[in-house]
Amino acid sequence: MPEKDAHKAEARLTLRSQLAELSRVWPWVDALAAEYNLPGETHFAINLCLEEALSNIIRHGYHGHPDHSITIDFATTGTSLTFTIEDQAPHFMPAESKDAQPAASIEEYRPSGLGLQLMRQFAGTLAWEPLPHGNRLTIGFTVAQAPGK
Amino acid sequence: MKITTEELEGGITKVVLDGRLDIEGAAAVDLKMNVLAGSKMLLLLDLQKVTFLGSMGLRTIVVPAQTVHRRGGKVVLFAPTAMVENVLKSSYINNIIPIHHELSAALAALK
Repeated sequence: MPEKDAHKAEARLTLRSQLAELSRVWPWVDALAAEYNLPGETHFAINLCLEEALSNIIRHGYHGHPDHSITIDFATTGTSLTFTIEDQAPHFMPAESKDAQPAASIEEYRPSGLGLQLMRQFAGTLAWEPLPHGNRLTIGFTVAQAPGK
Repeated sequence: MKITTEELEGGITKVVLDGRLDIEGAAAVDLKMNVLAGSKMLLLLDLQKVTFLGSMGLRTIVVPAQTVHRRGGKVVLFAPTAMVENVLKSSYINNIIPIHHELSAALAALK
């Protein structure tokens, strides 16, 4: 029995470990944004963080092997939105990944490490934890008002 | 993702990007962007209609800009939306490629 004053919802999307599968994430997020009347900035940030996280898993975690699965669970409680991504890739150590640094000139700019950096900038919270056979990434966002249907 | 070009006075090529510069969008315009970078000297990248920008989209902007710069040319970014500009600034792109919201200023920066 759900709490009387708590608005909770969950949804799951399961993807294969192929970049082409990312095209399924957009309509899923669009539907959630419409269903919960999410602000445009939050909608943008969710799409950004999911694209970066999922593409990193596919390209670096699974090294392009196309037949693994990735699950994304969505939940909302009060003003918090949570996306939980689970994979079966080798353990990821975010502390070992360095953010891009400001470049002194255009020639020196190296467009690498940007995905993680953008996630850190646009997500409210990020938490990685190793699973026995994979990783769990929890991405949190906070909105000003409890998302309502 | 759509890409169209328009030749302006002074040898400036206006490149209008329209849609999401996500992984799929970046792949759709990368070849055209690289061809432009290898053949044009002054690029005004019109971002008004770009509704999303991710890290792969950033590469689509930065790598051709580096090519143009190596060839002695210039690139400016024009009129990104607030969220797209936030991505550009979070990635320090604004430190290496100027962003303008007034067309006159964007054109002046290319002279």
